Amino acid sequence: MKTLIKEENDIIVMYLEGRLDTAAAVQTEADMRPLYDCTDRDIMLDCTHLEYISSSGLRLFLGLLKSAKSKGGHVFIRGLNSNLQSVFNMTGFSSLFEFK
Amino acid sequence: MQVFKRKPLTSQQLSRRSTIAVIACAALLIVGLWGFQYWSASKGIRLEVEQRAKAELKVKQLEIQKVLSSVEVAMQNMDWAIEKGLSDPDDFYEVAERLVSTNEAIVGAAALFVANFYPQKGRWYEPYVTTDSTGQFVHKQIGSASHDYLQFDWYLKGLASPNGYWSEPYYDEAGALQMLSSYTQQIRDREGRVVGIFVADVSLEWLGKIMNAKPLYPSSYNIMLSRSGQIMASPIETLVLRHTIEDVTAKMSDTAVKSLNINMKAGQSGTATIVNNKGEKNYVFYAPVEGNTGWSMAVVCPDREVYADLRATTMSLLLPMLLGMLLLGFIVWRTVRSARHLREMGEQRASMESELRVANNIQMAMLPKIFPPYPDRDDVDIYGLLLPAKAVGGDLFDFYIRDEKLFFCIGDVSGKGVPASLLMAVTRALFRTVSAHEAHPAHIMTLLNDTIAQDNESNMFVTLFVGVLDLPTGRLRYCNAGHDAPLLAGEHVGQLPCDPNLPVGVMPDWKFTAQEAIIYTDTTIFLYTDGLTEAENAAHELFGNERIKKVAISAEHRPHRFVHAMADAAKQFVGDAEQSDDLTMLAIHYTKQQLDIRFSSIIILKNDVQEVPKLATFVDQVCERLSFDPATTMQMNLAIEEAVVNVMNYAYPAGTEGDVKIEAQANDQRLKFVIIDSGMPFDPTAQEDADITLSAEERRIGGLGIYLVRQLMDSINYERVDGQNVLTLRKKL
Repeated sequence: MKTLIKEENDIIVMYLEGRLDTAAAVQTEADMRPLYDCTDRDIMLDCTHLEYISSSGLRLFLGLLKSAKSKGGHVFIRGLNSNLQSVFNMTGFSSLFEFK
Repeated sequence: MQVFKRKPLTSQQLSRRSTIAVIACAALLIVGLWGFQYWSASKGIRLEVEQRAKAELKVKQLEIQKVLSSVEVAMQNMDWAIEKGLSDPDDFYEVAERLVSTNEAIVGAAALFVANFYPQKGRWYEPYVTTDSTGQFVHKQIGSASHDYLQFDWYLKGLASPNGYWSEPYYDEAGALQMLSSYTQQIRDREGRVVGIFVADVSLEWLGKIMNAKPLYPSSYNIMLSRSGQIMASPIETLVLRHTIEDVTAKMSDTAVKSLNINMKAGQSGTATIVNNKGEKNYVFYAPVEGNTGWSMAVVCPDREVYADLRATTMSLLLPMLLGMLLLGFIVWRTVRSARHLREMGEQRASMESELRVANNIQMAMLPKIFPPYPDRDDVDIYGLLLPAKAVGGDLFDFYIRDEKLFFCIGDVSGKGVPASLLMAVTRALFRTVSAHEAHPAHIMTLLNDTIAQDNESNMFVTLFVGVLDLPTGRLRYCNAGHDAPLLAGEHVGQLPCDPNLPVGVMPDWKFTAQEAIIYTDTTIFLYTDGLTEAENAAHELFGNERIKKVAISAEHRPHRFVHAMADAAKQFVGDAEQSDDLTMLAIHYTKQQLDIRFSSIIILKNDVQEVPKLATFVDQVCERLSFDPATTMQMNLAIEEAVVNVMNYAYPAGTEGDVKIEAQANDQRLKFVIIDSGMPFDPTAQEDADITLSAEERRIGGLGIYLVRQLMDSINYERVDGQNVLTLRKKL
């Protein structure tokens, strides 16, 4: 599981690559920490190369979203493959996030 | 067009109306009778008063006539003396004296001669004799130019009356200070020519006495009128001779009085009803005094006195009559009310019965009623039957499958009727609620008992059997709270051994014990209420356990057949006797077929989430063996990871080490993952699902794991076996 945070056109983009399972979630949570300082801005989670996500990963996404909502920011998601999209649908997360 | 509907009357209004109608009819009848009685009595009284008044008038008439006749006769007796005395004008004094002496009513006498009858006496000659206060006779000649009797009306009338003439009464102011009337007789000479009149001044002092004596009624009175209408006698003395009847009655508004006056003055007799200005009614009976006086008498009787007795009697009747009416009203009211009461009781009963029917329907609707309930399953079939006795009863049964476990119960609430049925409904609802997150029958029973025993003021209780059959393994856990032990019918037939627990609701905090049994394939669990064992025939024999066993041995095991065979046997046994209790039966046929295992693989992990990548490799390999597509493989990964992580996080306390064994097994029909750990008892299926409809702010961070497992797998099943948690996830192939 690899992550990368970049600023692109005033948007903070986090690239997620690989399997975000329970084991990886520990490190990913730490990687995500800087984003919490920017939750008043627009954040993009790029999932183009994300292969897998379990509830531990979803939990991280939700935590970030809650923080952004409380500060008036937005969390966008892009590049979800169809398998992950079905997980988002199954869990109701597709109605929580904004997709680009 | 608008249609106006008349508001229907309530029964109370109806009964009030009929009461009023009956009382009104009775009142009308009574008042009618009363009125008729009054009318006929008053007619009689009227006749009677008329007769009495006429008799009174007759008596007065006779008394008056007696005096008047004595005067007239005395006068007639003087005829010869007068005729003899015509030659000497002074002889008349002697004649007059004799007349005055003979009759005490005669206070004076005079002779009045036509003009110049005695030339020596002049134009007027009227010798007059009276008595002074000492009783001495006084002689006067009172005819003169100033007392020109020749012009007097009464003189002229007397002169013209051959049979005597009574003058209008007058008041003698000069002499005796009393009412007088003068009686005249013609004086004829030898040739029969009328030469004058002989006059007796008759005191009418006695007239008032006669007329005012002893009235007919306390306030009735008599009056006498002269021919000109002067009042000659009246209880009011001041009217006498001072007023005419016309004066006195001038202000009366009742016009009948005018014709009465006319009739009386004309000498007629009759009856009149006069209402005075005070509104008081008086009956006047009148008749003339016979003879040539022209006088007329009347008896005046006030209505209130004439009818006083009748009215008093009538009034005295009125009170008992009113009381009678009240009594009648009361009786009618009571009768109507009790009739209404009866009717309302009937209506209430009807509505109660219909409510009971509704209650019964609701009760029945709560029970599972679609059979077979699980047509898609090959491991279990169920049939239940509740034959209610007449009233709503308290039997219940229920079953459902959750996480590959069959939860079922059968119970019998003490007592019958609505309370029993209510408790039955409560018990059934509680069974569902409690078992939603609790798979241990003793715990389910304890929770049920705690709820029902609390505030159980009516001391009702339920005998209840709760079973949880693990469908994959056939392991049955059960708890029996005082209910009939179920029968197991497989190769052999026998009762399921049951611990003696108290029924539910009897004692709070009772510790219920659970038991276990393995149910083998093709075994029927048969549950029933005492409606079956205690089904009674006409000879008061009970159906009993032995008969039940006998039927069970021979009965076909398909649940529908099994239950109906039992019901038919019981029915046949009971015969025509009435079913006294609800009869409830539930048959569970366990038909799990163990298929050949095609593939099996095991991995053992430490309780550390960092082991998850190993798990992913294991699941990928299994999926590859079964040629799953990438999407399904990902789903399997997700489900197994969630289940395993859940176990790692919760079964072992933080900091303690332990293993988690995951066994993948596939047959021709399904793939199953069995996750086994030796940690604390932990049932993930008892956890509440996450609510995925909430907003980001409301969503909890946790709770998604088991939710995802349920979404991704076909079944999830938890068992605690031999100190281990066993979680089984299945996916159909």
